[in-house]
Amino acid sequence: MEMFSYLLATGISTGALYALVALGIVVIYKATEVVNFAHGEMFMLGGFLAYTFHVMLGWPYVLSLILAVLAAFGLGILVDRIAFRPLMQRQSLVSVLLAMVGLSFVLKGVARHLWGGKGDYIPFPPLVSPEPIMFGGIMVMSQQLVVLGAAAVVMIVFALFFKLTRAGRFMQATADNPKAAKLVGLRIDRVYMYTFGVGSAVAAAAAVLMAPLTLLYPDIGFMLFIKGFAAAVLGGLTSIVGAVVGGFLIGIIEQLSAGYIHTSMQEVAAFIVIMVVMVLIPTGLFGRRGMRRV
Amino acid sequence: MLEVNGLNVWYGVTEVLRDVSFRVPENKIVALLGGNGSGKTTILNSLSGMVAPRAGTIMFDGTDVAGWAPDRMVKRGIVQVPQGREVFAAMTVRENLELGAATRRDMAAIRTDIEELYELFPRLRERRGQRAGALSGGEQQQVAIGRALMARPKLLLMDEPSVGLAPLVVDMVIDTIKTLHARGLTILIVEQNVGVAAAVAEDAYVLKDGEIAYSGAAPALINDPEVLSSYLGR
Repeated sequence: MEMFSYLLATGISTGALYALVALGIVVIYKATEVVNFAHGEMFMLGGFLAYTFHVMLGWPYVLSLILAVLAAFGLGILVDRIAFRPLMQRQSLVSVLLAMVGLSFVLKGVARHLWGGKGDYIPFPPLVSPEPIMFGGIMVMSQQLVVLGAAAVVMIVFALFFKLTRAGRFMQATADNPKAAKLVGLRIDRVYMYTFGVGSAVAAAAAVLMAPLTLLYPDIGFMLFIKGFAAAVLGGLTSIVGAVVGGFLIGIIEQLSAGYIHTSMQEVAAFIVIMVVMVLIPTGLFGRRGMRRV
Repeated sequence: MLEVNGLNVWYGVTEVLRDVSFRVPENKIVALLGGNGSGKTTILNSLSGMVAPRAGTIMFDGTDVAGWAPDRMVKRGIVQVPQGREVFAAMTVRENLELGAATRRDMAAIRTDIEELYELFPRLRERRGQRAGALSGGEQQQVAIGRALMARPKLLLMDEPSVGLAPLVVDMVIDTIKTLHARGLTILIVEQNVGVAAAVAEDAYVLKDGEIAYSGAAPALINDPEVLSSYLGR
């Protein structure tokens, strides 16, 4: 029971981070119908930037977080301007995807160059005491609670942004019907640009929250991208709620299977579940019925 | 108000409009008639900025707006009600109307405009919280027209507003067009349904293969058996 609760707590807190990564992927996919293959690098660079601000420069944590999120917003816009907008104007989806993969390698290379050689794992200091807390019989790392709480805040802010702000409405409208969005006078290329920015900002927030729990290394982006993408697909790729649920499910499944079956299962368990779900429900858990398959 | 001269539009290697010229005087309803593929929708799309013409001028209130992007056209006062309605299906009726005012910043006036629209379309007030995609075809047409009006257009472009609607609903659309006209709106309407055009339009142009084939007063044109048989397939 103690092991189960420990695994569950770990699964929920990593799941929250997968959910945040998946949110960015889904928001960008909904608007542009393109999976941002450089999304993991937004996460990775967000983490390294926060590390630079917080550890190397000694700035306060919250300030570092905000700066990293803003910088990632800018990086998202860069992805749009380099890999999406110029190529989409020629209606070439394959070129867009290749450009994004290429850009992700470039960004990874830049990170290696700036923050150390290959294989360097950079520790990020914990925010709170590393001592575990006991809840009844359940042992929880306090950092996990911080991560979970902060992830919940990010998700709520994100949801409110779409519900309450005009910019959020414009993004929703463009995802809903791009032709109509143009007709009402929205400049949809700008909407796409800001969508890339917002998605990347959320990824950076996830990275800064996660850094104290794991370590930072230039390849972390790809690992997180794959997990976030899996969570997004599990949730149906077009559903915000689906991305969040998918993230938590992947986090919990991989912890439980690592704990009860074998640690090597941690990396594969989630994908086995996804394959099963995709065979049984091709549109994912929250996907639109009748939507074309991905 | 609108004067189109020598409009030429190409889609890739195909010439879709050849040397099209016509006028829409202020506070008139003008109809563009013609069969499938005659270029009617392309004309509207050039006027709303969805398509960039290769040559020709589009003089609107004294400015050549040919080749302008859609957002500039909307701000200028040319707003299109698209074919097939194209509502934001997953968003509510009210959100659809608010999005019609996407180019405006006067939030208080936007709210009173929505209230006014609810007077014009009481059905939309009842349905304001529902997803637009869940409405009937006639209600969606009201959403599409209402959304266009939210931009406060001077010239309203309507692309086949009657298509796919039941006869009773078509009558409602005709009444709406007449009401808007009575309020001083200038309207350019594209129709395959000659009955609708005859009911509302004053001037009419008939398109064939991307060129203007006939023009004149709408009632005379529509009652001309030769025009009906050779260009409109009646």
